[in-house]
Amino acid sequence: MHPLIDCDVHQPNPSRDQWLLHLAEPYRSEVARHGLRSISSGIRCEDGGNRWDLKEERNGLTLNDPGFYSEHLLNTYGHRFALLSGNNSPIAGIPDPDYVAAICSALNDFYVEQWLPQDERFLLAIKIPLQDPLLAVREIERFAGTKQVAAVSFFATANRIAFGERFYWPIYEACQRHNLPLHMHPSTTATIANAAMTPVGQAATYLESHVCMPQFYMAQVASMVLNGVFAKFDRLKVMLVEGGVCWLPHLLWRMDAEFKGLRHEAPFLKRMPSEYVREHVRLTTQPIEEPAKPEHLLQMFEMIHADEILMYASDFPHWDFDEPTKLPKALGETTLRRILHDNAAEFLGLPISPSAETASL
Amino acid sequence: MSWQAVCAEEAVREGTPVLVTIGRREVGIIRHRETLHAVLNFCPHAGAPIARGRVESPVTADEPGGGVRVDADHPVLRCPWHHWEFDLATGASLCPIKPRIKVFPVRVQDGQVWIDA
Repeated sequence: MHPLIDCDVHQPNPSRDQWLLHLAEPYRSEVARHGLRSISSGIRCEDGGNRWDLKEERNGLTLNDPGFYSEHLLNTYGHRFALLSGNNSPIAGIPDPDYVAAICSALNDFYVEQWLPQDERFLLAIKIPLQDPLLAVREIERFAGTKQVAAVSFFATANRIAFGERFYWPIYEACQRHNLPLHMHPSTTATIANAAMTPVGQAATYLESHVCMPQFYMAQVASMVLNGVFAKFDRLKVMLVEGGVCWLPHLLWRMDAEFKGLRHEAPFLKRMPSEYVREHVRLTTQPIEEPAKPEHLLQMFEMIHADEILMYASDFPHWDFDEPTKLPKALGETTLRRILHDNAAEFLGLPISPSAETASL
Repeated sequence: MSWQAVCAEEAVREGTPVLVTIGRREVGIIRHRETLHAVLNFCPHAGAPIARGRVESPVTADEPGGGVRVDADHPVLRCPWHHWEFDLATGASLCPIKPRIKVFPVRVQDGQVWIDA
């Protein structure tokens, strides 16, 4: 069995009584009285969002317990590390930056205190208030260097400003300075906060919204590359989670083709757009596309240099969870190992060679 | 390669290239200010008649967020079809790609344009 690094594991939002003490006033009183603020796209996440087979208590543990994840995910599949990405719904698209900053701080404090010590294999992507980059930088500074804090979470589909804009550059500078990659994840039920929920308007259903996630990533990557984010921040790293992979060749080819004639609009780019993506951007596997002819997926993997840029994600415990065995064996042992472990280890700055005990799993 | 007279210097005006045929090749004689350039009239991208493109001063920048400027000292020829940019002096693309246009040495003698093609 290959060693495994899982780049997208969703620990639950804490219950109110677990978490409220971490929340600063005046928001503690507000949330105690009224609950969390929310913004809704008017679509319903698929039946609560989780796998049906995980609803029941097992050996006294439920999905609210870190031990449940250790037992039913990490021990089951031989995880070396699991990146906890939480849930964006309490913060994605909420317009008040002070409120969001307080929620982020409370969530981060809770997970660092209550989850990370429970299993050394847990890593955390901290939440930041994208709505105010200076407050976001303050939160990054607060956790930089904290053991097991491995990434910074970006809600990728509920933003009001494209990610290439200079508005976000203080965040990128802080992430680069602290060697913390960005973990970009959809915020399906808050997508309404984005002026262009899809390029053609509102998605009517969860199905439509979920299908259209790659469109957000295509636009975000184009925005970041063509506005010079990676030319400016040459050590910044970004992982795109849960957006599929097969759209990437088209975007790379189109950016390169258009750049040759329109270079004057991005004269600060010293390399071809696709080169910036190959160096700075990584994609995660789940939910992997399922073409009618499996060999077509292998062809796509070759086009995107999957052995360099693809990283495994399970999306546990969500309903569309993928086991590591979902990847085609025809990829070969070397590429599989890179996707399941080595690419993420390099990306997250973890030692490539797993320790003896994890190698034997 | 051999030097040969191809046209009168006064026939080449800015914005109006002179096309000459040398063997089986068509060459565009292009004026930019006081300097004459000779380019093979064939874009390596899609085969467009590149001598019919525009001579421009390229936009450059040192880094994102650092402002942009125009480099008047290094004119480019932009293809009429897809607007790729090539350095008129060297033929190199301004993008970091291999395709380049073929340029020929030019000199003016006794009112005649000579190119080494």
